[in-house]
Amino acid sequence: MNKNKGRSRFLVLCLAPATILFFVFMIIPTLNVFRMSLFERGAYSPNETFVGLKNFQMLITDTQFIRSMQNMILLVVIVTIITFGFALVFAAILTREKIKGQNFFRIVFYIPNILSVVVIAGIFSAIYKPENGMLNSIIGLFTTMTDPILWKGETLVIPSLIIAMVWQAIGYYMVMYMASMSAVPESLYESANLDGAGRVTQFFQITIPLIWTNIRTTLTFFIISTINMAFLFVKAMTSGGPNGASDVALNYMYSQKDAGLYGYSMAIGVVIFLFSFALSAIVNKATDREPLEF
Amino acid sequence: MKKVISLALAASMALSLAACGGAGSSSAATDSAAATGEGAAAAEATTIKVAAIETAYGTEMWQKVADAFTAQTGINVELTTDKNLEDVIGPSMQGGDYPDVIHLATGREAALTEQFIKGNLIADITDVLSMNVPGEDVKVSDKIAGGFTETSLTNPYNDGKTYLAPMFYSPCGLFYNAGLLKEKGWEVPTTWDEMWELGDKALEEGIYLFTYPTTGYFDAFFYALMYSTGGPEFFEKATHYEEGIWDTPEAQTCFDIVTKLAQYTNPITPAQANDQDFTQNQQLVLDNKAIFMPNGTWIVGEMAEAPRADGFEWGMTALPAVSEGGDRYSYTWFEQCWIPSGAEHQDAAKQFIAFLYSDTACQIFAESGAIQPVLGIADTLEGDNKLFYSIYDNGAKAAMGNFAAFTAIPGVEVRTAFFDPVNSLVSGSITEQQWIDGVKSASDQMRANIIE
Repeated sequence: MNKNKGRSRFLVLCLAPATILFFVFMIIPTLNVFRMSLFERGAYSPNETFVGLKNFQMLITDTQFIRSMQNMILLVVIVTIITFGFALVFAAILTREKIKGQNFFRIVFYIPNILSVVVIAGIFSAIYKPENGMLNSIIGLFTTMTDPILWKGETLVIPSLIIAMVWQAIGYYMVMYMASMSAVPESLYESANLDGAGRVTQFFQITIPLIWTNIRTTLTFFIISTINMAFLFVKAMTSGGPNGASDVALNYMYSQKDAGLYGYSMAIGVVIFLFSFALSAIVNKATDREPLEF
Repeated sequence: MKKVISLALAASMALSLAACGGAGSSSAATDSAAATGEGAAAAEATTIKVAAIETAYGTEMWQKVADAFTAQTGINVELTTDKNLEDVIGPSMQGGDYPDVIHLATGREAALTEQFIKGNLIADITDVLSMNVPGEDVKVSDKIAGGFTETSLTNPYNDGKTYLAPMFYSPCGLFYNAGLLKEKGWEVPTTWDEMWELGDKALEEGIYLFTYPTTGYFDAFFYALMYSTGGPEFFEKATHYEEGIWDTPEAQTCFDIVTKLAQYTNPITPAQANDQDFTQNQQLVLDNKAIFMPNGTWIVGEMAEAPRADGFEWGMTALPAVSEGGDRYSYTWFEQCWIPSGAEHQDAAKQFIAFLYSDTACQIFAESGAIQPVLGIADTLEGDNKLFYSIYDNGAKAAMGNFAAFTAIPGVEVRTAFFDPVNSLVSGSITEQQWIDGVKSASDQMRANIIE
């Protein structure tokens, strides 16, 4: 009895720091975001006025907000699909095939992930530079360009962002998929080989189903991290320009805070919060399968 | 025994976690109290907190001025300087802890000063103007050059009271490579018609007429343009969003000139017109790929290390006149220094602001290239600065002021409505009329929310 009491006290002591910190720094601020979205106040003014759902009503008619949401959704969808595809294929190649310099490729793919976003923004700035930029110089070798391609111009800025974001994210997910792929027993592939299944069939019939739980988890990661990453990339690479063409929702939220609309920007925060929550839930539900074991 | 060890471990983990949480408010303050010595400390123990933005002028001058102020008045100064001052002082101000003096100009992206203006959170410093400069027998108002304390940048509420003290001024205009024009035998245009002529001539040689660092640089340009098309009266009405003002012929001239200028702009400009790449647009001028760009005198220091075309030489001109013999304007950009109304030591803070106009302080600032708006300072300048600051002696008129403050409206800001569309004008994705329509609808909302 006495021993039990000491044990539970010990458990409480162990759990308390994390719980308290989580509560103070995660739960309370999150609740505060919801509360403040119902008020209107400047970031520095002490008075706030309750405006109910007025902030949300204005959001619906704010074309800049709608455009920034569209951009964000576009980035989430496209970046997820491309990264997901590439990461899976690269992971399969690097685990299943015997190619020279496997470790080298693994490191090369992973390096972008340890670079900070600001560094990546700098690298891509040099790549996308209209004059003497790497990309335009390479294209210039094959064709004669009269006008330089404006990678960060209005029409191409979103594809340019996508390329940078995919480049940054592939390595991380590739390593995650490689870890679970190498856990798949070799014998399954051997027997599939005997049955005459080719590599592509093996990939779709054996590899994918067996790492499905992993794929589901990473899809949630994709959604949350792309929303955050989109903000970082936009902030560091384009500041939302030219003329708002690359604005994303989090960046817009940030700029509205700077415009002195704290409540309004919190309302944007609430929308993004609910959006990412809902999207993760939908994806989780849609990808639900009976887990296979080996 | 085991239990004791695990308890100790758990406790230490809790402590270290708590320490991580508490360390968020690292202080960037550099304390100058040490410089006061024992003599002054006895007189008055007041310590004021001064927060100043670090710009191209560096931070050393602030430390020197703070030391000089302490030596003069015995008031200690706790100085905070940072390039991202908003991020350093912002969080503590949200918690109600304000610096006594803040030197931070309007027009920055984080718009902290604008938020304080919009929130009526700045102390009235009209009485500073009639105070004597510490250590001198002159009133502050007698030192500050004419016009600087009468603009909407210092008197944001149009009520005759001064809330922000004018600091370091810089004439803005069109910067160009004087060497290139000399080499080609081109004249600096004095009217817009001559400007377009030059543009056609230059384009034949593969040089574009115009570029801009970011659309943010259009504010000074557009203000001066409004002055030169319609004079101070039109400027006053336009910056107060008067009804129908954008339908007047003067406004139409402004829009037409910017639209035409967009056609003469180096087409790669918008792709680099962001905070990351704007120096590459400035580089276009140094490489003779564009002739003119709107900028301020800080450009010389900012691009000091950049490679440049042979025979490069900085030149600066006021905006061309709309018609032959018309007025030419150069916008006077200046920074602001102010006291938050929540500041603790208001009186000492006012003394500090007064001291910023003393001969000692002006000289310290000038050594770093920061020019205080005091009378007679232009005579003491040397080098490039002498040329730039003499622009008003060479026939250009000074344009001052800005758009009137309005309470924040979701999605409507001066820059996004007025200037950002220039990027789209250059790339041709919107028409002039679409731009004007956007300006009009934004202007209507701003008028409805103007702070009087």
